[in-house]
Amino acid sequence: MRKPFAVLPVVLPVMRIFAAAFASLLTVSIAHATAVADEHLEVELVGARDALVPGQTAWLGLRLKHAPQWHTYWINPGDSGLPTKLAWTLPAGYAAGGIAWPAPKRFDLGELTNFGYDGEALLPVPIKVPADAAIGTRAHLALEAKWLVCHEECIPGKATLVLDLPIAQTAADAPYRQLFTDAYTAQPQPAPWPAQIRLAGGRIEIAVRGTDLPAAPHDVFPVQTRVVANAPPHIETRNGELVISFAKSDYFTTMPKPFDLVLLDRSARSWLLHADSTEPSTTHR
Amino acid sequence: MSLRISILAAFTAAVVSSGAFAAVTVGSAAPDFSLPDANGKTQTLSQYKGKTVVLEWNNPGCPFVQKHYSSGNIPKQQADATKEGVVWLTINSGASGKQGHLDNAGAQAFVAQYHAAPSAYLFDGDGKVGHLYGAKTTPHMYIVDAGGTLRYMGGIDSIASTDKDDLAKATQYVPQALAELKAGKPISVKTSEPYGCAVKYGP
Repeated sequence: MRKPFAVLPVVLPVMRIFAAAFASLLTVSIAHATAVADEHLEVELVGARDALVPGQTAWLGLRLKHAPQWHTYWINPGDSGLPTKLAWTLPAGYAAGGIAWPAPKRFDLGELTNFGYDGEALLPVPIKVPADAAIGTRAHLALEAKWLVCHEECIPGKATLVLDLPIAQTAADAPYRQLFTDAYTAQPQPAPWPAQIRLAGGRIEIAVRGTDLPAAPHDVFPVQTRVVANAPPHIETRNGELVISFAKSDYFTTMPKPFDLVLLDRSARSWLLHADSTEPSTTHR
Repeated sequence: MSLRISILAAFTAAVVSSGAFAAVTVGSAAPDFSLPDANGKTQTLSQYKGKTVVLEWNNPGCPFVQKHYSSGNIPKQQADATKEGVVWLTINSGASGKQGHLDNAGAQAFVAQYHAAPSAYLFDGDGKVGHLYGAKTTPHMYIVDAGGTLRYMGGIDSIASTDKDDLAKATQYVPQALAELKAGKPISVKTSEPYGCAVKYGP
């Protein structure tokens, strides 16, 4: 062991695994089935609700509990790192959507910047339950998760996690419902404002205009890589526009259409901006 | 209860971009440097004028580096290149006390463990040469031609991961550029985003 990060109690996850094993032996209805942990990260496949309802979308998620100072990555990891990846194995007729990424945090590594999550976080995923799922049976949902967890050093990890849920007419909140609520609160909402990209002397400016612009913008995260540098942008209000100015990426080749950004304000509300390099149409607004 | 959650478009992973520290550019002269190697000798870039030189930033503790060493990918690239007369300099800019910092014996043991074949293993503990070249990650690769011009800078290959299974699908940029350089062809990929661990520079 190289570093004094034995902060997560080692005994607890082991007990959890035992508890989960007993629970599945007893076929007790549980909405969280397995937790796997090392000294830097505990991961678990969890459900928002305690059952699957035929024809509805169920929200499952990868719960990530990081040791203090350690982090995993957003869809754009920033200057180093890798985004967490999920691969599902589901019963026939079930379909998993992509990760509904909560707005990330910025981690400053001196010369490099990373985007990701620390503390306890959840990566929610919608799972479509087929309309003909048989009530009274159970569904076995399996997830292979791969991540990179870093503090100063980085450790790749992967785990196969399973969740065994009953199929029922109705479902009630599961123990981790609050984590799902928090992940929902941290979802970037579709921005109601048009955003335009301008090239300004080697920098890339995003101009956001409209009414009720965020009064206290805090940070902006580029979704696509190789467009802007990951260092914090300069944000100011100028002539009624919110102007977000980034250094251009060293690896810029083409401007994605649209270029997507997550705008975060000081009260942790966030919006997903789609910035276009042409003048936005104003006729329908 | 349904959660209204906006789903960001998925896209492929890629890792490094930063305008934070300016460095060398492809097509310009590669700056000279002088560093001690694991045999106690001094190595300079200029002593290899007339030969193609590959610079590889290395941290043996980094899982991205381990992927390319334990799979044999970088050792094979080193052996193939040096057999063709290319000079391959592996550079460790890890500061003392940081992950992957090595002494002479440690570097020799690392090279022996993976049957690696660099021309020399260089130490840059104060990070001067790493900063001069703008090395951000391990690995981070550079190719300098016989005339001293930088011809490639960027990643080791095209798939950012720590997974050896991705090697077969990835474009290995250094062997590709070396072959093109040897054949007198234009280099098809001159820069790419490097991926890996942040170089463990000192404060």
